[in-house]
Amino acid sequence: MTREEQVKAVGMKAGARVVGIAPVEAFRAKVPEGHRPEDILPGARSVVVAGGDGPTAGAWRCPDHRVMEITGYDLRENVAVHAMCDFIEGTLSHRAIQAPSLPVHGHEPPMSMMHAAELAGLGTRSLAAHIILNPEYGLLYYAALITTLPLEPDQPLAEPACPHPGCAAMYKRIGTTPCLRVCPACLAGTVQDGRIQTSTYDREKCHSRADLRHRLVPEGASSDRERGRPRTAADDDLQRLLHEEHPVARLLPRLDRAMLRVHARLPRRAQVPEAPVRPEARAR
Amino acid sequence: MADLPPGSAAKLKSVALESGATVCGVADATAFDAYAPEKHRPGDLLPGARSVVVVGGAQPREGDWAATSPWVMQTMGTTERIQGVGRRLAQYIESEFGYYALYVPPGTASGDTPFLSLMLAAELAGLGSRSLAGPVLNREHGFMYWSAVITTAPFEADGVETSPACPAPACREMWDRERTTPCLATCPGSNGGCLSGKLENGRAVRTFYDAARCNTRVHTHWVGGFQKVLEETLNEPDRDKRKMLLYGDFFTRSLWAITYSSTNIAQCFECMRVCPAAHGLREMR
Repeated sequence: MTREEQVKAVGMKAGARVVGIAPVEAFRAKVPEGHRPEDILPGARSVVVAGGDGPTAGAWRCPDHRVMEITGYDLRENVAVHAMCDFIEGTLSHRAIQAPSLPVHGHEPPMSMMHAAELAGLGTRSLAAHIILNPEYGLLYYAALITTLPLEPDQPLAEPACPHPGCAAMYKRIGTTPCLRVCPACLAGTVQDGRIQTSTYDREKCHSRADLRHRLVPEGASSDRERGRPRTAADDDLQRLLHEEHPVARLLPRLDRAMLRVHARLPRRAQVPEAPVRPEARAR
Repeated sequence: MADLPPGSAAKLKSVALESGATVCGVADATAFDAYAPEKHRPGDLLPGARSVVVVGGAQPREGDWAATSPWVMQTMGTTERIQGVGRRLAQYIESEFGYYALYVPPGTASGDTPFLSLMLAAELAGLGSRSLAGPVLNREHGFMYWSAVITTAPFEADGVETSPACPAPACREMWDRERTTPCLATCPGSNGGCLSGKLENGRAVRTFYDAARCNTRVHTHWVGGFQKVLEETLNEPDRDKRKMLLYGDFFTRSLWAITYSSTNIAQCFECMRVCPAAHGLREMR
């Protein structure tokens, strides 16, 4: 087992879903001085990035938006990074630190985890707030370590995870995508030949909305009268659109919900059968 | 267990225990309808919910219970340990069985109301029963913390516990002698406390827990305390007094409590500390 495989195995065992490696030199092209790995750890040679699970597919289906706000992630990526740091220092005798990622002033983190994930080949930017999407697992949360250990790096992904084929087809038909349509105030972009051509994200506007206590469109559980089964989850229309199982009567479901769910893991993993889920729900 | 391979529930429970749970049980999602209010039932959080998987554990250690300082129990939160197990099970159900799974968030949806009552979930999953003092106690392990996962997977449900851990034999004897129990005696509602109750034939026939009063005692350094000091500070015209309010011991402690601990939003633990059913089953040196 190579050193790279050893480090990655430690991270995966500690709970990471994916682990990738980026060389420190790769950060120089786009990262301003003071925010590069070697600015944080003198002599840094490699950045190891761990991706932890995002929300479960079930969490995306919850009609109560507060559930997602509270339980979006499980922090395993941080645990994985610490386990790999321990391994690198304890076994391989090189310095290793967790890369600082929380903003220390304004919205600027000392080091961008999104950029680190891209450089480590774990995902690509999306039209939706430029959030990094992994082609297999969709939305993941990222943490990274910086080390003086020289490691063979992974390559950035050649094929972008966004736009999803269903979204590219939608753009071709009506000139927008699910994410752009659900939040035209914060997001804008164009798609050409199935690839993102331009993309804009108004972060200031997004922040001011995410903290609103009273949404324009209230969400929550249905009243008792409306609870009678069978009923469908909020994202059923979108699921059908993306999986092209049936002709789509409406192109989009409710317009007040975040749509990163289109990249949730469950529908995209080959080993997960979808049939038992939806027929069960519909049968009730 | 239509559509699930045989032994799925057993496999799931085995993974739960390997991940750090002390106990694991399954409740039927529809069983909540009789007890939980609208908007707080499994189907309200996950359409098509069939089961609720409940894990318990992360209980305070015997050393915690034996600590002489009440602050040990009130500030050393351990609930995160069982919450991590819940999150892991949700991921496991989706990746292993291919059914939707939603980890029930800890905390409250609004006011003091949880998204889904974890205590009710634990009861319906056969993991314990309510005690005179309020918390659900497991017959074998006593007091513990709970985490739950709502899923569309039709796991076979466990039956509710038929023989409650509370009142413990020692408590029944005490009731016969003194018409009180250790928990009721330590915090009597009739004398400024939070609890009262009645036993008949060794079973609790009436229980009372004054949650509002209990909250005022244990939330002293929590969000309410923060808000109170903030209001006082905003209304205080004297600059030096404002500084004292913000940099003083009370406000500093409130900030530490909010940022670094979780259990002091729960009980003060004194009723559980004296409960023979809650802990103390193992002799320690």
